[in-house]
Amino acid sequence: MAILIDENTRGLVQGITGAVGSFQTKIMKEYGTKVVAGVTPGKGGMEVYGIPVYDFVEEAVARYEIDAAFGFVPARFAKDAALEVIDAGTPLLVLTAEGVPDQDMLTIINYAAAKGTTVVGPDTPGVVSPGKCKLGVHPNRVLLEGHVGVLSKSGALSYEVCKTLTENGIGQSTIVGIGGGPFWGLSQEAVLSMFEDDPETNAVVMLGEVGGTMEQQAAAFIAQHMTKPVVALIVGRAAPEGAQMGHAGAIIEGKEGTATAKIEALKQAGAHIAYRPSDIPHIIKKLGA
Amino acid sequence: MRLLEFQAKRILAQHDIPVPKSVLLTSTTDTAKLTLPAVLKAQVPLGGRGKAGGIRVVEGAEEAAAVAAELFNLVIRGHTVQVILAEEKTEILNEIYLAVLYDKRANVPMVMASTAGGVDIEQVAKETPERIVKKHIDPFIGLQPYTIRYLARALGIDDLASFDAIVRQMFAVLRGYDATLVEINPLAVTPSEFTALDAKMVLDDKAAFRHAELFVALREEQEKLDKKELTLAEQLAKKGDMTYVLLDGDIGLIADGAGTGMLALDLVRDAGGHPANFCEMGGLADAETMCQSIEVVLANPNVKALLITLIGGLTRMDHMADGIVQYLQQHEAPVPMVIRMCGTQEKVGKATLQQAGMDTFDDLPEAVQAVVRLAKAK
Repeated sequence: MAILIDENTRGLVQGITGAVGSFQTKIMKEYGTKVVAGVTPGKGGMEVYGIPVYDFVEEAVARYEIDAAFGFVPARFAKDAALEVIDAGTPLLVLTAEGVPDQDMLTIINYAAAKGTTVVGPDTPGVVSPGKCKLGVHPNRVLLEGHVGVLSKSGALSYEVCKTLTENGIGQSTIVGIGGGPFWGLSQEAVLSMFEDDPETNAVVMLGEVGGTMEQQAAAFIAQHMTKPVVALIVGRAAPEGAQMGHAGAIIEGKEGTATAKIEALKQAGAHIAYRPSDIPHIIKKLGA
Repeated sequence: MRLLEFQAKRILAQHDIPVPKSVLLTSTTDTAKLTLPAVLKAQVPLGGRGKAGGIRVVEGAEEAAAVAAELFNLVIRGHTVQVILAEEKTEILNEIYLAVLYDKRANVPMVMASTAGGVDIEQVAKETPERIVKKHIDPFIGLQPYTIRYLARALGIDDLASFDAIVRQMFAVLRGYDATLVEINPLAVTPSEFTALDAKMVLDDKAAFRHAELFVALREEQEKLDKKELTLAEQLAKKGDMTYVLLDGDIGLIADGAGTGMLALDLVRDAGGHPANFCEMGGLADAETMCQSIEVVLANPNVKALLITLIGGLTRMDHMADGIVQYLQQHEAPVPMVIRMCGTQEKVGKATLQQAGMDTFDDLPEAVQAVVRLAKAK
């Protein structure tokens, strides 16, 4: 099982012929991901590591069953590439591009909702169900198959936490990077709900950060709907107000956006608070999850 | 990019939204051009200008020159006033708050309005939320007349035709300029019409590629007219691809992710250290970005030790190592460096650094302890 992707997922890579796209496709393939086709406009007919490349998503979809698309497309072309995937009826789209204009992101999110495509991202490292499927750029050494679900706004922070979990023998069911905002295809709340329903997930680690109010919404969801334990780590306790901390969504504007306010809301909701990655294995072991 | 008030009003006026008659003053002698009484407004891209003394009403010519001189000597949160927008005083019957923006929870555009115009909308939201009306705009059907009629009734507006034109144009500006906020606060109801007394507009920098000439022109105009004292490190960072935030401590930080950058900040502080900055290189950083980031962070003379924390997914450790070596070949490292390296292509990266005589950590908490110790020893 796991969520979003598993051993049966057949993936398509957009932007497969670029330097980053081909390099990461090779690593995903080595991990065991079934990458069945690639798309790059104008490069149809090529092959990348034995994977056939098409000009259009609909050409690939006509030949293969595609469960998920993974995009290595620069931000300025992200809207076109995403809409093409959604239009072709692909159930899942992982959008890695950083810096997609807000207006484009909203078009993508609303069109995806109308057509029934789940969008992960933008600005995400992707999704991994360790041992089953990797539609992501996560370093392999930090991954271990298991029963803790991980969701994170930040890619690198999820690697950091998975490294600690893996080094302590705690495996992961699925790791979902939802992206750095300020708009999100999948919210923290949506991913929490998926983990709650997943029989292979026993506990969830949620990695949040300063800015916006998404963690407060997640806290409300945890209080009302989560029966599985949630461990939350919110970074940016030492972040100054009003500064953009790398992610488009990570800017403290008003009290709600501070780490303190988010930690307080999550604590009230019954989440177990970690202050650093090394706290997390201890909390999970104590919970027996 | 947050526009200066006069830039935002110029765009609104181009879209037939009424704004007060005005002149721009760049020196006190310009006040001779004024129609009095007038309102003199310091042009700085900040909220709370009025409270900081940046908005003044003047009645006579001598007073105008004296007040202009005072405003040009004003520094508002690091911004020195370079230009004053002088507007004819408007007769106000009523003040309305009106904004178009994106609702981050619902992922759709919305119009936000209130009869409590002229004050801080955050304060209204907190104290009297019932005075704020929000209407979503379905992106598939756009702004429809019934939405505008609904807002007009809620605001007690009689002149529906003029109001309709203003809301429509604000929405067109939001979409057409890739703005993330178009706000008129207050929109004054005058004896003859509506007038946008103050305007705030934020453009989406991520969409700059669609408006290359316009965004560049607005930014250049702003840089000429809005002087903010920047340190050497901040000046260098502006030219590079990294995000840099100057802080007041002595430990330089560089990370290859926003989340781990903030984590490093928290961990250094928890360990008793004082971060000198936040610096994040972004997911697609190459050797050049790595090298530049070290230059930026070490341009701050307060830095006594540097922590580079890398955990690569998209970022390749072989490229990061090349960037660090490139820096060391071009510069004498002025402070001790602690490097944590892990992730994609780490074997190659670590080997490159070892050859250059640099050891790396694998464990982040250990690296943090080391850098805090080094900074304290200096």
